[in-house]
Amino acid sequence: MIVLNDLYKHRDLLFAWTFRTIRARYQQSILGGIWAIVQPIAIVIVFTIIFSRFIRVDTGDIPYVVFSYTAMVPWTLFVSSVTDMVDTLVANMNLVSKIYFPRDILVIAAMLARLLDFTIASSILIVLLFVYQMPAFTISLLYIPLILAIQLALSLGLGLGGAALNVFFRDIKHLFVLGLQLWLYATPIIYPVTLIPERYHTYYYLNPMAGVIEAYRSVILHASPPGNYLIISALAAAVVFLSGYWLFKRVEHKFADVI
Amino acid sequence: MELSIQFINVSKRYRIGSSTLSIRSLLTGRNHSQEVKHHWALRDVSFELQPGESLGIIGPNGAGKTTILKLLSKVTYPTSGQIKINGRFSSLIELGAGFHPDLTGRENIFLNGTILGMRREEIRSRFDQIVEFAGIGEYLDTPVKRYSSGMYARLGFSVAAHVDPEILLVDEVLAVGDMSFRKKCYERMLQLIKNGTTMIFVSHDFGAIQKVCSRCLVLYRGILSYDGPAAQATAEYSNILRRAASSKSEALLTADGALSQMVMTHGAVIEGVQLIRSDGQPGQTFKSGEVVHVRMQVRFNERAHSPVFACTVRQPDGQVVYDYTTHWANHPTPDFEANSVREIEFILRLNLVAGIYYLGVDLAYHDLSYYYDRLIRAVDFVVEGGDGALGSAALEAQFFVYEMKN
Repeated sequence: MIVLNDLYKHRDLLFAWTFRTIRARYQQSILGGIWAIVQPIAIVIVFTIIFSRFIRVDTGDIPYVVFSYTAMVPWTLFVSSVTDMVDTLVANMNLVSKIYFPRDILVIAAMLARLLDFTIASSILIVLLFVYQMPAFTISLLYIPLILAIQLALSLGLGLGGAALNVFFRDIKHLFVLGLQLWLYATPIIYPVTLIPERYHTYYYLNPMAGVIEAYRSVILHASPPGNYLIISALAAAVVFLSGYWLFKRVEHKFADVI
Repeated sequence: MELSIQFINVSKRYRIGSSTLSIRSLLTGRNHSQEVKHHWALRDVSFELQPGESLGIIGPNGAGKTTILKLLSKVTYPTSGQIKINGRFSSLIELGAGFHPDLTGRENIFLNGTILGMRREEIRSRFDQIVEFAGIGEYLDTPVKRYSSGMYARLGFSVAAHVDPEILLVDEVLAVGDMSFRKKCYERMLQLIKNGTTMIFVSHDFGAIQKVCSRCLVLYRGILSYDGPAAQATAEYSNILRRAASSKSEALLTADGALSQMVMTHGAVIEGVQLIRSDGQPGQTFKSGEVVHVRMQVRFNERAHSPVFACTVRQPDGQVVYDYTTHWANHPTPDFEANSVREIEFILRLNLVAGIYYLGVDLAYHDLSYYYDRLIRAVDFVVEGGDGALGSAALEAQFFVYEMKN
């Protein structure tokens, strides 16, 4: 509650910093916001060629492009926001060591700035759903805010914890980049969950992103509510979020001395 | 009335060296390693400030001045002791902190303003004042990376000075910008004080502090050694320098960065510099107009053909007051044999107004191609007395009023 109150008091800064981050990212670039879709599309094209031409992956009656792009959009948000968040304190050390403001603002703003990319990439998803005549607009889409909230809580927990540790050990940033790359393969993005033997599913869904991605697919492509696995994701996300925040607050006062 | 600022037995310790921290010690807050070295930036400092008071803080480099500001602005926290602050504060610790070079002046005003704790509506209502004070009207929608450094600093100061703080913290930020802007800054600071703002002003420049502050702290190596009227702080500052010099001149010269030594070649090395009064006693405080002997001992490691000797007097803001070289003065110098030590003396008449000055000495090749040795800030000294004039040169004005015969 104190946390939320503090954030509310500094909401103007939060928005100003988010705006600054977005402006700075696409300043002096020709494509600008288009870059937000170039990356997921490029990856999806490559995977589509590989997994629907050379190595056949069974995605049921859903075209592979739609199948993987639906997962790639939220996954790109996850990876880019966590990477940005982990780096943000060190990248703005000049500010952190000179002026006081709640430091979590920088981290949260880094995430909010990536939501714009997410929105742009999502609009392409809508186009894809139309092109492939998927049952796009069903009542199950109302689950999306919940799924997104779970994903953001998880990202924020990782981002806050990672950003705080990165102030003390710059290895953390590299560790996160590597970890996120490997994480892609532990999550049903380029392959369907059905590829994993049923008896391993309990363990498989311990990865909260597995549940999140599966939930997106379920509500967008199958027009059905997410399964119980989303509860595991929600619990895991809550634990990660709280630990990340706790860690951040625990060491926050040392940032300026160490950075 | 409630105190504005209270510092109670505050100490601040920094780690030095690059020893890595373990995750365990990070979380428990305890140090398990015995080899970590520490440096006390502040030791047991206490002072109080009434609302509306203006306080200057002066001291040589490394005295802990900036640490006090960082503690007050909650950027860092004390190792022990307590700090109480009542009121909204704004800091001028770094002008234009958070400015993004690609954003326009207008966008940066909002960004910087919110970083300093203003609400959007507040910024909007003061927007015109901020722009007018900074004098950047026509460049408002230009990215700040196209600004001159002066414009950049003006905009930064302008935003921070319009936060309308109850407490204003000012670091040595005014070294940038031209004279007329600096004057404007001081005027704004005085105006804020008049409106009841509590101010803490950190500077090397004693003149600036005296202009703005009624009270002054003198810090030396983290210890508060004077707290009283600003007018007497100069004398105290010079006392500290003198005391430190007599206790061990080596320590003064090397330990706290008071001396920056750049040996260019090792052909000749300046081994010591002293200021000597006409009565033969060493000193660091002089009367305006007094004659002082600058003595330096030079060890020649190699044969030096007619080297150039120079001595420079600077003000704390770096402004050169007087720069004398034997070369420009066409003063011939002898050759020096290798492995000899010589004492060199400059005699200066300190026609300077009261204030703090830095003396530097150089020794260069006869053709000025290299320095043998160079001490930009070999000795600090204080000039007292004079006629109360400001500036640097003591021109000993006289004043008359005459009857006109018509």
